[in-house]
Amino acid sequence: MKIRSNSDQRILRVNLSDRRISTETLPREWTSTYLGCRGVNARLLYDEVKKGTDPFGEENTLYIGTGPMDGLPVGMGRLSIACKSPRGTVAEGSAGGFFGPELRRAGYDYVAISGKSENPVYLSIEDDKVEIRDAGHLWGLTTYETDAALRRDIPDPDTQLRYIGPAAENLVHASVIMGNLNSCGGRAGCGEVMGSKKLKAIAVRGSGGIKPHDYDAFVEAYKVFRQRVDIRTSRDMWSPVWTTYGAPVLARLFTDIGNLMTRNAAEMSWDYDKATAIGCENFLDNYAYKSKSCFCCPTPSCQKLYSIPSGKYRGFKGGNYWAGQPITFGSIIDNGSIDLLLVLSGLCNQFGLDIFHIGFTLSWAMECFENGLITTADTDGIEMRFGAFDEDALVDLMGKTARREGFGELLAMGCSEAAKIIGKGSDKYCLTVKGQELEAIAERNLLMVALGVAVSEVGPDHTRWYPPYPCNPSLISREELQSLGIDLDLKLAFDTRNPEEKGKLLRWFTISRAIVESMPSCVFLVRDTLGFDMRPWWKLFISATGVELSYEEFIKSGERLMNLDRLFNVREGFGRKDDRVPYRMSHEDVLNFGYKKIDDTVLNKMLDEYYTANGWDLNTTVPSKEKLHELGIHDVRHELNTNGVEAGS
Amino acid sequence: MKKLQLRYVAVTYPITGKLNEEVETSARTLRELIAELDCKYGGFLEMFINGQTGELNLNTMIYYGEDKRVPVAVLDIDQPISHGARITFW
Repeated sequence: MKIRSNSDQRILRVNLSDRRISTETLPREWTSTYLGCRGVNARLLYDEVKKGTDPFGEENTLYIGTGPMDGLPVGMGRLSIACKSPRGTVAEGSAGGFFGPELRRAGYDYVAISGKSENPVYLSIEDDKVEIRDAGHLWGLTTYETDAALRRDIPDPDTQLRYIGPAAENLVHASVIMGNLNSCGGRAGCGEVMGSKKLKAIAVRGSGGIKPHDYDAFVEAYKVFRQRVDIRTSRDMWSPVWTTYGAPVLARLFTDIGNLMTRNAAEMSWDYDKATAIGCENFLDNYAYKSKSCFCCPTPSCQKLYSIPSGKYRGFKGGNYWAGQPITFGSIIDNGSIDLLLVLSGLCNQFGLDIFHIGFTLSWAMECFENGLITTADTDGIEMRFGAFDEDALVDLMGKTARREGFGELLAMGCSEAAKIIGKGSDKYCLTVKGQELEAIAERNLLMVALGVAVSEVGPDHTRWYPPYPCNPSLISREELQSLGIDLDLKLAFDTRNPEEKGKLLRWFTISRAIVESMPSCVFLVRDTLGFDMRPWWKLFISATGVELSYEEFIKSGERLMNLDRLFNVREGFGRKDDRVPYRMSHEDVLNFGYKKIDDTVLNKMLDEYYTANGWDLNTTVPSKEKLHELGIHDVRHELNTNGVEAGS
Repeated sequence: MKKLQLRYVAVTYPITGKLNEEVETSARTLRELIAELDCKYGGFLEMFINGQTGELNLNTMIYYGEDKRVPVAVLDIDQPISHGARITFW
């Protein structure tokens, strides 16, 4: 068996226009400069997808990246999927499963797919044998059907698959790339771009092996890591809950503490009985029948397969009930039926729709309907009312949206574009930033979340920083933080409704998250102090790869990635004006909980602190000359200047 | 005697076998309430109070709210409890 090096990283390049296939090895220093996975994808995307590239054109490249930890028991099979978003920003989303380790076993760390095929195709990778195959028989199939059909074509059960559903084929807003039936990734537009290339799927099987460079040192580092994430030893309130129940647990708690976006976030608390009905306890008692984890993951509860036991949806099967669904198919549309929730969520997986796009666009449509901005003439006769909708019609809308039929055509555009069509001030009800719908975590009571949502380069995505908000100030002292090079006033930083220190805290969590995603590992394993103290991650990385890399340089790699994402966006014309929160969050107080709107004064204070801490210009958000030099990416300055971005000479 | 609304979330649910309950108690602090609940639900005390430090375990959380006030995360296990409080054990 051929054992892969963890320090040399290889790209498989596939051009679907001329069907050229080639490989190249990245410069070895990239493993210490960008680590891997999301870090390498960010650099490739910045260098190769030039300013003004048509997102649906041949020149936009879809990068599927693994990293040095993939195939080891820390990588959890994570992938980074990146391209230029149809909204013009960076599009990047990670996914778990088993595809990443299999790709590395086949001898590749990245697949870079450019060009466009005239006819539907899929990519088959089996070690050195790489083929572009006809996918005419797969086009139009759901993700579940595609999985089954490909497994008939490729009988080896260890072949790993990633594929798109009808939504991405039809370029539906924010559609995703699926794998293992229910594992999605690339939310910010990667599915749409894959669909535009007429690439239905990627299949990979490898025969190589992966092992750490220094086995003994890796095992020692792994013991520390496991202690921080283990249910018994982790000093983290989320560890036991996440490990055994999963994130739907949030619904009951959030409705009590005014953190549950309800009825298009016009309210922040929901009927407690409804929250209980869709809660994790009911789900585990009556619906879940099997746990399914990603590669080597120690938290087996993350993905659960479910079956609806009775009623009109009896026998409907799906998987993955996580933090998003209780909001997107529960409180945000005022649906207290867990059966309907699980059907809508399962259909999103089958059609390859993004649950946040669908949930927040449905809630936008309901608020528009109740305020008379749209009528049954716009909705194919459906009464779009919060909590009082026709269940069957809502179920039908999933397929109609994926196929862009009737009212589904409007929903398929996403909330922001749909509001432009409807007009009449309907954009006030859009819960979007940079054209992308919000996700599960509220803003007006958690100011760091508001800032994070505003500045995220890919649009709202709380996994760009982690943890989403600090939970227990007893976890780490200011002295410990200072010894790690982090200067924060913890009392202010942990005060969720005080704008002070939020910029600095968010900056740190964004850097630490960027590092974890570049190794890669999973956001849900950033437990205990692992979001502050990166030394356990660093020891894992250097023992696995054998690269010489100081702790300071390791931290800098995360900052470098964060800056490359920002540079991509500023080159495309994005800046401070785009770092906003949705209209509702900046104009409406939450009266019953005493949460104030996030007005310009509050947001600007946090933005100034964030940009200043990053060394970015307060108006353009372009990183300073000194910052680019410090990070060793000053080569981008000339390139920015020639593209009309003022970045100094 | 005080009346309290108690809510049990996720990992506390298998211990209590219920999601919510109203209890009457003479407990003055959260620590006393947890000790009282441990008599009904074995393992409750061990789950929430660190046996070595006597402090709240960092892998748990308790949210405490009084009437018409937003429940907040508890940092002091010896804080007093009032009639009508809603307490979520996480």
